[in-house]
Amino acid sequence: MARLIRTEKEVEGNYTEQWIVVDEDPVAQWPSGPLEIVGRPLARVDGAERARGEAVYTADLQLPGMLHVAVLRSPHAHARVTQLDLARASEAPGVRAVLTPDDLDVLTREPGYPGAAIAAVAADTYDLAAEALELADIEWEVLQPLLDPDEAVQQGSLIDEPERYDRGNVEQGFAEADVVVETEYRTQTVLHNSMETHQSVCQWEGDLLNVYTSTQYIWGVRAETAAKLGLPEDKVRVVCHYMGGGFGAKNHPGEYTFIAAELAKRTGRPVRCALTRREENLTTGNRHATIQRLKVGAKADGTLTALVGDFVMAVGWRGFKSWTAGPMKMLYHCPNVSTVEYGAKVNTGPNAAFRAPGFVEGTFGLECLLDELAAKLEIDPLELRRRNHSDSDLVDDRPYSSKNLIECYRRAEPHWEKRDEVRARSNGPWKHGIGMASQIWFGAGGPPSYAWVRVGSDGRALVVTAMQDIGTGTKTAMAQIAAEELGLPVDRVQVSIGDSARGPYAAISAGSSTTPSMGPAVRAAAHDAARQIIEIAAQRYHKEERVLSLKGGNVVSADGGSWPIEEVTGLLDDAQILGKGARGPNPTGMRVLTFGVQVAEVAVDVETGEVRVDKIVAVHDVGRVINPLGASSQVEGGVIQGLGHTFSEDRLLDPNTGAVLNQTLDAYKMPTIADVPEIVTDLIDVPDEHLTNLGSKGLGEPPIIPTSAAVANAIRDATGADVRSLPISREEMLRALAEAKEKEKTREAPTAV
Amino acid sequence: MKLLQPSSLEELDAAGPGLLLAGGTDVVPILRNKLIDVDTLVDIRAVVPRGVDGTRIGAGTTLAELEVDPQIPAALREACASAASPQLRAMGTIGGNLRQATRCWYWRMHYPCFLHGGDRCYAQTGVHREHSVFANDRTASAHPSDPAAALLALNARVRTNRRELSISELYRLPTNDNRDVVALDYDEVILDLEVPTPEASTYLKAMDRQKYAFALVGVAAARFGTDVRLGLSGVAPIPWALDSAAGLDDATPLPDNAYKIQIARALIERALEAVG
Amino acid sequence: MSDLIVNGQRYALDAQVGRSLASVLREDIGLIGTKIACNEGHCGACTVLLDGVPTLSCITLVHTVGEREVTTIEGLRDHPLVESFVRADALQCGFCTPGQIVSASALVEANPHPSREEVRHAMAGNICRCGAYPKIEEAVLTWQD
Ligand SMILES: Cc1cc2nc3c(=O)[nH]c(=O)nc-3n(C[C@H](O)[C@H](O)[C@H](O)COP(=O)(O)OP(=O)(O)OC[C@H]3O[C@@H](n4cnc5c(N)ncnc54)[C@H](O)[C@@H]3O)c2cc1C
Ligand code: SF4
Ligand code: FES
Ligand code: FES
Repeated sequence: MARLIRTEKEVEGNYTEQWIVVDEDPVAQWPSGPLEIVGRPLARVDGAERARGEAVYTADLQLPGMLHVAVLRSPHAHARVTQLDLARASEAPGVRAVLTPDDLDVLTREPGYPGAAIAAVAADTYDLAAEALELADIEWEVLQPLLDPDEAVQQGSLIDEPERYDRGNVEQGFAEADVVVETEYRTQTVLHNSMETHQSVCQWEGDLLNVYTSTQYIWGVRAETAAKLGLPEDKVRVVCHYMGGGFGAKNHPGEYTFIAAELAKRTGRPVRCALTRREENLTTGNRHATIQRLKVGAKADGTLTALVGDFVMAVGWRGFKSWTAGPMKMLYHCPNVSTVEYGAKVNTGPNAAFRAPGFVEGTFGLECLLDELAAKLEIDPLELRRRNHSDSDLVDDRPYSSKNLIECYRRAEPHWEKRDEVRARSNGPWKHGIGMASQIWFGAGGPPSYAWVRVGSDGRALVVTAMQDIGTGTKTAMAQIAAEELGLPVDRVQVSIGDSARGPYAAISAGSSTTPSMGPAVRAAAHDAARQIIEIAAQRYHKEERVLSLKGGNVVSADGGSWPIEEVTGLLDDAQILGKGARGPNPTGMRVLTFGVQVAEVAVDVETGEVRVDKIVAVHDVGRVINPLGASSQVEGGVIQGLGHTFSEDRLLDPNTGAVLNQTLDAYKMPTIADVPEIVTDLIDVPDEHLTNLGSKGLGEPPIIPTSAAVANAIRDATGADVRSLPISREEMLRALAEAKEKEKTREAPTAV
Repeated sequence: MKLLQPSSLEELDAAGPGLLLAGGTDVVPILRNKLIDVDTLVDIRAVVPRGVDGTRIGAGTTLAELEVDPQIPAALREACASAASPQLRAMGTIGGNLRQATRCWYWRMHYPCFLHGGDRCYAQTGVHREHSVFANDRTASAHPSDPAAALLALNARVRTNRRELSISELYRLPTNDNRDVVALDYDEVILDLEVPTPEASTYLKAMDRQKYAFALVGVAAARFGTDVRLGLSGVAPIPWALDSAAGLDDATPLPDNAYKIQIARALIERALEAVG
Repeated sequence: MSDLIVNGQRYALDAQVGRSLASVLREDIGLIGTKIACNEGHCGACTVLLDGVPTLSCITLVHTVGEREVTTIEGLRDHPLVESFVRADALQCGFCTPGQIVSASALVEANPHPSREEVRHAMAGNICRCGAYPKIEEAVLTWQD
């Protein structure tokens, strides 16, 4: 019977109450540790078609008669279009339709950032569309751009109300402190740069709109597109079988989808709107820059007494303040905390979620601050963190559903203890050191999410759910879960995803929530099918249901006897066994979080400012691990993106015009294979006993969070230099070294009497 | 657009002026972004010698071929190996490398700046961490070629279809009347290079990633007998020669790029030590 | 009109001067395994072989290819590297992967037992935003296993 219950859903720290329907009794969790298939390494089930170049991404789709869109974008950060005439453009060769701000509200005459969309042209080829745009007659009134986030806050140019958080009494906390450290940290703007750019192909079939799109959220695109176009949701079909990366920037349909839909309507032809790399880096989002003015008070034994943070975020023309204060509120047991977050509205491209938005930035500030405190107190940084470990969540005053951070520290310790050994490697200008940083993040996932499992008479299973796999290997994890539950070898399980018309609702691939949301639904569906197989087998072989189980492709009876599953299902001929499953609720009254710690080993050339990372040890507590192979790939990918953020990535703005100077990948420097250190992944593979039938939490985001802080702390250990600003470019490293030298000098100089 | 593919120098002459195309790694993106406007492209790959013969290097030799050729002085080999990416090195020729355009982002984004024939330099008052610290009064562009710095230290000579000149003569600082950084005619073709063999040489490069980035600072050193020559990339609008690290005292850094001088000082010291 | 030889097949080349090899492969011939991620020679996603030499097809003018043989990922589907990439989990989203495999195939052709350093040197022109690098390195080092 369907039961209606009220539960909580959390995505990236936002809790919402919602009604959900659960219809079966929950399935008990599997025992901890590797099972037959779950918990064991498995190569991706869709690896071959991707590697062989057979997988058709949105970028590869070619529909007969398809038109291509070029978008006229503002070259100015802030301007007004005083005149716009597309008459000549619309008569150019190959042009089939044009759109102006009068036709579509995602086009604007008042651009607030460089790259804002003004007009669009659909033509037979992209080149023809782009050439036609050059014939657009357009005049601008260029306005002064506001770029400095501090200035924006002062002027009251804010995205929304500042967000304040207080617990305890920080004044009292500082009064109790023996030591106070106050510092300013800065992080830069970072661009997602997934390899497949944002794009959609839209095609009308009567009043049904097919949207082929590169997305992290099929159902979100469906809902938002339907709302925008005033269509019933089932009149929008969203398809994404393969997608070339998102990292948080592809959670919404985006203006390109609406442009393509409208132009497809006007021309009666399929229309592709694909962004170029440059457009991608102007308009599709970014990790916004932050300025963090932080202060910590502690007792001589290291006990934190107060934390204060003033966070200014350069959100852009639109977007949201990411949760930069999050780590300060959540990571440690500090009774007195006060934070305020300002989202500056500036004339730069809108931000978007980017792998652990806010926590990457906030952890850099907080964890560097903690190390500066440790240095001042002369306490071992790891010990300082242990002393301030929190046994329950102080923000909502709730118990954790599970927390193994102390175990993470314990596993990191052998690496951490090599500090003297590592420092002793210093040689000439190369100074070696070790640093660490802790991690906290969400990752519970939540309902709703559904899956169907179909078992045919051949004893093969098909898992159907309309989710997307953005490269995290979710499809593989779902195959493992279903295979485990059905007792089938994994090559007898297929997973069908990627089409809103073929399968039930599935969660967004964001907030590290795909596996914890989808996995339990798939398991429930597989369980439902398995139950039916067992019921049938019990009748066929005259056994009690409770002695039967599915294992290794067989129905196995505890009192002897074993029959291939296909023998049982084979009875059915063309009939099929259909299982369905839904994601159950999250544990009420608890906080489901992920934890971890990373240890970095670095070497710094103090003469040239070159920093080499030798090793990152990443220990994370993410509940049950479904696929250790895929999981280590996720960890490595997160760490590597974290290293890009730490060293070489930085969106550069011309200070006078606000133009983005490095839109291209020669100038915007992401890590290459040569930048990668040894990465040691160590996951605490213990299910969260309160969380779903799997006990798995999300894994996509935790590994990027502590990397930059661990590296900066290692640099301090190696050189005594405080890097407080990302990226740690040559100039920042040399500046910090010079400052440290200065400090050293004044310390050595005899104080005047 | 027209593409001509002459198969001999005579045919090339007969073809008339056009933009030369070798590996196309620089030319093709520049054309596509309309940074220069041409209607005739001349594919010179069949015309320009390719390969290494003792101290002579055909201008059509790719950087990938050079980085592994044992006949070549270490400085040039290392400069080629540290340049660009494997694919770009496999495509890009040494001739094209010497004549590549500036990487200045303002120039690449069509700002009407001095090098584009305009009257001001946007980098000087804008973002210039990657720009030059010498001779940066008109343009702050930093010359991007690693091999050019090595060839400067190696005192190489260049033969074109019209003349022969030294590497230091190949480059010129742009003036109000002529904004080019290369002293060649528009359709003049570099045919080969004559690269003297030093007793020792090396190329050191500081960049934002371990590989595949333009030089923030590149330092080539080559020793001929007791004479050591230095060539630097990334510090001036053209490859820059210095007699010693003391020459760095004459640098005129912009507000945000003095760090390059410190790096150059360390690299020069190391390079000198390496060549003995 | 000249021809284009791709994976051992001859195609009549019927394209406007100025078009890239990548666009002709993808749009005209339908070989979509070659990806375009930057279209200006910066990322390596479009890497193909021209007579065995790794080449960025997005900045190669199709009319300059001439008689050189083009090999795309479609021509390398049976290469052991495909298998080793899958086995090592050397791909996440997979968008950079065909280019990675093409680059790696040129490396192991010239140097069947590359060192770690040689792999890093030869693969530095293929950007992987997902950061599959450690596994890519492993896949190339173990391609013959
Ligand atoms: C992303 C990227 C990164 C790079 N990184 C580096 C780097 O780190 N270090 C470095 O040194 N270089 C770097 N380069 C530059 C690269 O090495 C050059 O683009 C390449 O060597 C140019 O050779 P090409 O044959 O492709 O020249 P083309 O692109 O064909 O031509 C370049 C220019 O030279 C002219 N030209 C070509 N051949 C001749 C000739 N024989 N005689 C006269 N003129 C000629 C052309 O008309 C054109 O003006 C990079 C390039 C890119 C795109
Ligand atoms: S540095 Fe040179 S190329 Fe760049 S803006 Fe200044 S004048 Fe132009
Ligand atoms: S698509 Fe060709 S190099 Fe990026
Ligand atoms: S696997 Fe996604 S970019 Fe390489």
